[in-house]
Amino acid sequence: MSINRKQFLEMTAALAGSTVAMASMPWLAAFQNPAVIGKSASDRIRIGIVGTGGRGTYLLYLMVELQKRLNIDIVAVCDDHQPHLDRAVERSNGQALGFLDYRVMFEQVKMDGVIIATPPGHHAGPTVAAFENGVHVFCEKVMARTMSDTKNMYDKHLQHNTILLTGYQRACNPVHLTAIDRIRNGTYGQITMVRGHWNRNQDWIEYKGIEPASELDRKLNWRLYRDTSGGMITELCSHHIFSSNWVFDSQPVSVVGSGSTNYWKDQREVWDNFGLVFKYEDGSHFVYNCLQSNKHNGVQVQALGSKGMVDFEVNREYQEEPPAPPAIRQLIHDIESSVFNAIPIASATWVPAEPVKYGGQFISDDWKVNDTSLYLEAFLDFIRKGSAPESLTIQGYNASIWALVAEKATYSGVTETLPAEFRL
Amino acid sequence: MYFDKQIHVPQLFHNSFYAMGTRCQVILPGIETERAEQVLLNVRQEINRIETCLSRFIPYSELSQINQNAWKSPVLVGEELFGILKTCQHFSNITTGAFDITLRPLLDYWKEKTDNSQADSQLAGIVESSGMRYVTLADADRSVSFSHDSIVLDLGGFGKGYALHMVETQLNSFSIRDAFISFGESSILAKGAHPAGDHWKIGLNDYMSPGRSAYEFALNDGSVSTSSNFFIDHHGKLQNHRHVIKPKTGYPVEELVTVSVKSESAVDAEILSTACLVLSDVELADIRTSLPPCEIVRILYTSGKPDIHIV
Repeated sequence: MSINRKQFLEMTAALAGSTVAMASMPWLAAFQNPAVIGKSASDRIRIGIVGTGGRGTYLLYLMVELQKRLNIDIVAVCDDHQPHLDRAVERSNGQALGFLDYRVMFEQVKMDGVIIATPPGHHAGPTVAAFENGVHVFCEKVMARTMSDTKNMYDKHLQHNTILLTGYQRACNPVHLTAIDRIRNGTYGQITMVRGHWNRNQDWIEYKGIEPASELDRKLNWRLYRDTSGGMITELCSHHIFSSNWVFDSQPVSVVGSGSTNYWKDQREVWDNFGLVFKYEDGSHFVYNCLQSNKHNGVQVQALGSKGMVDFEVNREYQEEPPAPPAIRQLIHDIESSVFNAIPIASATWVPAEPVKYGGQFISDDWKVNDTSLYLEAFLDFIRKGSAPESLTIQGYNASIWALVAEKATYSGVTETLPAEFRL
Repeated sequence: MYFDKQIHVPQLFHNSFYAMGTRCQVILPGIETERAEQVLLNVRQEINRIETCLSRFIPYSELSQINQNAWKSPVLVGEELFGILKTCQHFSNITTGAFDITLRPLLDYWKEKTDNSQADSQLAGIVESSGMRYVTLADADRSVSFSHDSIVLDLGGFGKGYALHMVETQLNSFSIRDAFISFGESSILAKGAHPAGDHWKIGLNDYMSPGRSAYEFALNDGSVSTSSNFFIDHHGKLQNHRHVIKPKTGYPVEELVTVSVKSESAVDAEILSTACLVLSDVELADIRTSLPPCEIVRILYTSGKPDIHIV
């Protein structure tokens, strides 16, 4: 067990003692009360991976690492791009069978769980096929490219009584877990706004030298094309819709937005910059923007409350009223009370316990823990137990489907709401 | 009609932020919130500007450029920094070298040593090669040059005072009459008066009785700066941090002491509280008439209780 994971377990143990935390994060039980892992072959969990491009290969790597201490087999990998498939078979150390078609894979290989890491436009097919074969699913975000596919995936998970987790790994992120617990406990007061951005200065063309908009370009640089991706709204923003929904313990009631492609004027069909404003039932807002032509401050998501502010992605929290020295508190009190006393203030320079550049304090020392690996570990534990907390599945659903509503808002230019038939 | 009866009650505005490695508390009595927020923004920007200019930790700061290059050839500097260095040179002269911005090599020398008896033969050489006499400030072209490559300028004992001086300029530009600004509690600017009095009462913290004042200054439109050579450990005991070096001998000051200086000028208060920390009462008496108008209070804690010397 690595020291980071040990720290994480200690942290979740502390949170598990909080009724508030366990109510809003029941999946922590996966770490505090894990299923017994037998060592026999019959206890071994069989895992497949569909989609072995960049993300899928990374998840495969994490699975190979988890295999060192958990009783799992990586039984199959699948990708319709031969070089990616060959690489995945190799990275599985040769243990996985390779398939170009997921339908053939499910026909020929028995498995307990599958990781779907294809482009979002190709999530629904293998996910539903997995459920129909009784296989639990960890599907990368967003769940699908259409609301009807998203809803169908959710319904099928209920129909087949199978697990459906969506790749919002912040659910297992120590900074988020700690901060959400503090939000629930009122540390930051009433949160009335979440704001954030995910800014980059790059073209997002991961595979160079391909004829723009060709079939191969659409397959490999799929993030640029609308049939497979919603661009930064589905690939980046949806993570923070998940965070915002978690902060407010709710889902939005509406969203307005605007987007344009005015810097990277190439083959892309998705926005290179956009702005969104989500509104929640209590009047709170989530304000978000992305752009690909300036990277200053990169990723930031902040929850702003009446007593403090939490900056999730940079692991810092700020009190609205930083602790003033006693003499300053006394001076303020004296002025407000019209009392004219000397205040014993003059002394050696106050120096913070840790170097402070921009103020604030660290939220969690466990930020180095790999949240994606923890999330996969939770998925394996849920497979052993036969079920996952439904609240986690619903949070993934809401983040996914609201990303699609938001995308729609950037095209329609009007206030969009989630159609009733897609509400859970 | 209703609006005519409303009484406008100005608010007490207070806020804080981090800068120059510590916290800055801003208290503005009797001011509209919007104006106070604008004042605060300007104050923060001014302090950030000064920190960027004076920091030796920021590689591209003007001071860093001097430290990196002035031993090779004269470095042309801006009017502001040149004026600051001239001020430092002036105070070095009138304090007979007690105020010295070239002590960094000596501080580095003592960094890992816990006792004065650990000094070795290197010390004399470092003392000999330190001092403002190795820094040339040429008025003709506003250039700075060093006589050798081990000179490092460190404005740590100057920056907060200068920042408060410039903050005062900002406050004046907003016609702020009353204000109380505390920079890490060691550097205080007090403008005008406490709303319930005709001045501000600044107590010098009594380290033997926390929360009580060992001495009080009455202040209108001026500053109090405090320097010390100790910290309070986890057991509540005063411990010498050994960061205060006597330039003439190169040894850390051993007696536990604080010096507080009240002056109309935040810069003077800051510089003199640093300089007077390394001077005995006798040495201080010798130069007292050369110093600008100020009140100096030395408090010795060696006996375990505050021993107050008003100089």
